[in-house]
Amino acid sequence: MEEFLQHILNGLILGGTYALLGIGLTLIFGIMNVVNFAHGEFYTLGAYTTFLFLALLETNFFLALLGAVASGILLGAICERLLLRPLLGESIDTTMLVMIGVWIAMQNAELTLWGGVAKSIDHPFPQPPLTLGPLSVAPLRLFVLGAAVLLIAGSHLLIHRTRLGRAMRATFQDRETAALMGVDIHRIHTVTFAFGSGLAAGAGALLGPVFVVYPAMGDPAALKAFVVVILGGLGNFAGATLGGLILGIAEELGAGYISSGYRDAVGFAIIILVLLLRPSGLFARAERVG
Amino acid sequence: MLSLEGLRAGYGRVEALKGVSLDVRPGELVTLIGANGAGKTSTLKAISGLLRASGGRILFEGAEIHRLTPREILRRGIAHCPEGRRIFRTDARAIREDLERVCTYFPILAERLRQVAGTLSGGEQQMLAIGRALMARPRLLLLDEPSLGLAPALIETTFRIIREIRQRGVTVLMVEQNAYVALRMADRGYVMETGEIALEGPAGDLIENAHVKRAYLGG
Ligand SMILES: Nc1ncnc2c1ncn2[C@@H]1O[C@H](COP(=O)(O)OP(=O)(O)O)[C@@H](O)[C@H]1O
Ligand SMILES: [Mg+2]
Repeated sequence: MEEFLQHILNGLILGGTYALLGIGLTLIFGIMNVVNFAHGEFYTLGAYTTFLFLALLETNFFLALLGAVASGILLGAICERLLLRPLLGESIDTTMLVMIGVWIAMQNAELTLWGGVAKSIDHPFPQPPLTLGPLSVAPLRLFVLGAAVLLIAGSHLLIHRTRLGRAMRATFQDRETAALMGVDIHRIHTVTFAFGSGLAAGAGALLGPVFVVYPAMGDPAALKAFVVVILGGLGNFAGATLGGLILGIAEELGAGYISSGYRDAVGFAIIILVLLLRPSGLFARAERVG
Repeated sequence: MLSLEGLRAGYGRVEALKGVSLDVRPGELVTLIGANGAGKTSTLKAISGLLRASGGRILFEGAEIHRLTPREILRRGIAHCPEGRRIFRTDARAIREDLERVCTYFPILAERLRQVAGTLSGGEQQMLAIGRALMARPRLLLLDEPSLGLAPALIETTFRIIREIRQRGVTVLMVEQNAYVALRMADRGYVMETGEIALEGPAGDLIENAHVKRAYLGG
């Protein structure tokens, strides 16, 4: 039982960052109809930006995390303005190919810039684990969970409680009518892509210090994000949140009770089952942003 | 107030508008009638900026608007109430909030809509769609088939509301399948056939026109 609870806690910590990745990807798909194959690269960008701030600029750890999120937002906005806006109205295949190009370009830029050797990120948290009753958890991991929960809650408020979020949801439901109501569709697209990329960068910044940072680290992250989006239903914010947590927990349980080598296999087993049994996602009432 | 000059537009290789010219003067209620697929909806979409003009011009109060975005066109005072109502399906609370705001702009809607709880009937959705377009306080209202899919009693209410909107000084360009009712209440009309204006004139004359009678008024 104690072992089980420990797996659940570890799963939540991992799942929180999966949810961040999934929320960004599902919003970009739902609102912009873009399959963002470069999503994992924004995760990598977040991790390297954190490294840059800490190791080279020697800033405070928390400032580095903010810088990482900002770098995702900025590069996401630039990417949307330069590459996706001219393709507005083109088929989903066209933008998908462009994003595959961005994926390759970003990953190779990281390789050129930082080299292929993995880097580790220092953090200010004490190493010895905290014990919470029967559970033990490294302070850094607890911080990662707390930060992920905060980012998810903030995103929820943005989408459900602000004018901007309302415009995003309206654009998702009916782009033409939203435009007729005065919603600036271009602006919504820029914001959505920047926001989704910022969340991915945030996830990378949070997990960077937990694991190590290397140029191809975004590939498995992007796969997880796609699993989460399929689990939760395309464009479904709450679905992505729950989907992320479910994937994190399932991976921990699979790694703990079967074998740690099966960690990634669990995700794929889930995705195959979902696609066979509930292809529109576990939580599909109607596909929606929100 | 509004004039289309040789307007061309289409979807990919399909040319939906092949040089449409029409005018709407301040205070008028003008109707655009025609068979399915004639290009009526495309005309309204081009005016409100949803469909890019590939040729010709659109002038609103003397200025070209055919290169503006839908948002900019709305800001200039043209609101488009789209075909099929296109209400945002969302939670009941949000709909009730919207209804209340619409009612403050248009008290006549309040009587109708205070009765509403939760989901809306087709007629109520149409009121909401028209009211929603009015929230931008437009000077020109584009209506696309406001009577589509409504029961006869509701069609009458809808047309009564449109007449009231017009009496309040809003200029109206209305697309309708229901040609007889549309021509009866309009000042002038245009008849559209396969992407072109086939006939135009005072609504009273069009009702009497032999071709219009045969093709659109059922006899
Ligand atoms: N989204 C679209 N894509 C391709 N063709 C379209 C689209 N919408 C309309 N059309 C075509 O444009 C023509 C005019 O359609 P429309 O303006 O909707 O006519 P109406 O409103 O008079 O029924 C038709 O031939 C229709 O098939
Ligand atoms: Mg039509």
